[in-house]
Amino acid sequence: MSNLLLPTTVVGSYPKPKWLNRMIREYREGKLSDDIMEEAYKDAIKLVVKEHEIAGVDIIWDGEMRREEMTSYFAEHIEGFTIYGEVRVWGNNYYKKPAIVDELRYKDELAVGDFKYLKSITNKRIKVPITGPYTIVDWSFNEYYKNKEEAVYALAEVMNIELKNLVKAGADYIQLDEPAIPTHDDELEIAKNATEIVTKGVNAYIGMHMCYGDYRKIYPEILEFKVDQLDFELANKKFVDLKIFKEYDFTKDLGFGCIDVHTRRIETKEEVKESIRKAFEIVEPKRVYVDPDCGLKLLPKRIAFEKLKVMVEATKELREEL
Amino acid sequence: MKLITTTIGSYLIPRWFREYLKKVEGLQKEGEEAEVDKEVYKKAVVEVIENQNKAKIELLTDGQLIWQDFLAYLATKISGFEMDGLTRYFDNNVYYRIPIVKEKVSRSKPIILEEFSIAREIEKEKNIKAVLSCFTLAKLSINKFYKNEEEFILDLAKVMHEEAKELAKKTKYIQLSEPSLLYASKEELEMVKQAVEIITSNVDAKFFLVTYFESAEKIFPEVLDFKIDVIGLDFVEGYEKNLSLLKEYGIDKALQIGILDGRNTKMENVEEVKSKLKEILDIASPKEVYVSPNTGLEFLPWIKAYEKLEVLGKVVE
Repeated sequence: MSNLLLPTTVVGSYPKPKWLNRMIREYREGKLSDDIMEEAYKDAIKLVVKEHEIAGVDIIWDGEMRREEMTSYFAEHIEGFTIYGEVRVWGNNYYKKPAIVDELRYKDELAVGDFKYLKSITNKRIKVPITGPYTIVDWSFNEYYKNKEEAVYALAEVMNIELKNLVKAGADYIQLDEPAIPTHDDELEIAKNATEIVTKGVNAYIGMHMCYGDYRKIYPEILEFKVDQLDFELANKKFVDLKIFKEYDFTKDLGFGCIDVHTRRIETKEEVKESIRKAFEIVEPKRVYVDPDCGLKLLPKRIAFEKLKVMVEATKELREEL
Repeated sequence: MKLITTTIGSYLIPRWFREYLKKVEGLQKEGEEAEVDKEVYKKAVVEVIENQNKAKIELLTDGQLIWQDFLAYLATKISGFEMDGLTRYFDNNVYYRIPIVKEKVSRSKPIILEEFSIAREIEKEKNIKAVLSCFTLAKLSINKFYKNEEEFILDLAKVMHEEAKELAKKTKYIQLSEPSLLYASKEELEMVKQAVEIITSNVDAKFFLVTYFESAEKIFPEVLDFKIDVIGLDFVEGYEKNLSLLKEYGIDKALQIGILDGRNTKMENVEEVKSKLKEILDIASPKEVYVSPNTGLEFLPWIKAYEKLEVLGKVVE
């Protein structure tokens, strides 16, 4: 899809500026008007875009300034979900776990507005990340549908509407975030069918992002999914997963997570170049997309920026060498 | 036959206490040694016990409110373990730190005794169940010390036995939470049988062996020979299979029936639950019957955890 060799991109999230977090808090306490909050989001997005531009990233997103998490944000915008409260993920970390309490229906847009705004302020190519139907259902309670499979398909239908609307608005690169897929290998068929439903009639380049799972459980079956690109977190486990992908011919484009987002240490340029070269053992360079392992939101903003910068510099040098 | 309402153990942590724990322990893996103020903890337990009492639960638990993660929490209290990275807890979207056993395990200090004593101070009349685990803790751990699994399990059983002896001074109800047992091999079942004998020997208490997340297919009929008083089965995930196991082998112990789905916010219909219970008790005639959710209630948001308790209370009424 891209003419540029080794296009650099992001998985999605970027650290929110401290002032934005403060404003979100005040907004929730009722201290700020909608207008002021709206302006703040837009200002924050401009800042994120500029930082991505300075870093030199080729394909960008808005840093998910409006999203707090990757499940409840979408659930809140879809008819049929409700949120009763938080549950624990581990230790003292909790998340708002949605519950499906009624038939799932399209309510309002999930990402079209964000896409349109981003398009109006940048000439960069845009990738739209959106949490996939399998993961949203896996991370929700199901009170309404007979089983998980039915719920996943129903949500896939709803999200298909959004994907089509995104294409109508001009989006040509959509990424489905599906970290839950590698966690239930017995449900791969459901995830595969859901992917087919959600991308049906969607005329765009489709990526699928997965992270922190056991890829052995999904490979090579995942190659049969109707997507153009598979994007993996790889740096976190020091690229040991690559040997899994070598066992079968990797027939998709490869999104190559080469920056560890769970350490504040900034990788060196040489190190990143060395990492990216490993991708060429799996697919030829023209099928490689370069990105960090996952969203950058948990890092301090300065470090996130430096990491993107070194990723781009390493890629540029590699392009020269190829 | 009298049905006794109870729970599996864990309860969602009250919101304010969660915020407190975040402050003391932080959000990362380093917080496990942080000191939790006893008075603050006590207030949280009061709330959880109140909820159980309001819902007319008869055999209580303390809610396991300072267990940062599931059974692996026990490892932070036992000498010989070190804690490693996070991994998924069965098929749930929740994680625990993997315990690594690096030395011979020993009980150098009380494990849950202190926190249990606080619940005891709060609730003086009703019975409270203390929750321990042996096999599951061993299975969830990485063994870097013991020559074989059996040695590890039996040593851990000795540790749990010491704890159980102390707990028995404060309660006559002790539960071993053992979801891993449902995936055990025949050889492992034999090991667990021995382990249970070690844990329970000369301890004056009623012992529960509680399983969840699956049917009990792999542990029947062997589990019937274990030296325990109450077997807990998951009748949400394994309704049909557990029914046929009871039909085939019967049960000469007490039975804890996990009948409400502790992992879904959907509320059960009281009448439907009653007819399921009836079906189970038409087949089996256990010595005593306890009724509970199939899993701990930590998987549910606060209001839903309480609603489940209420449904349970109504079922037995």
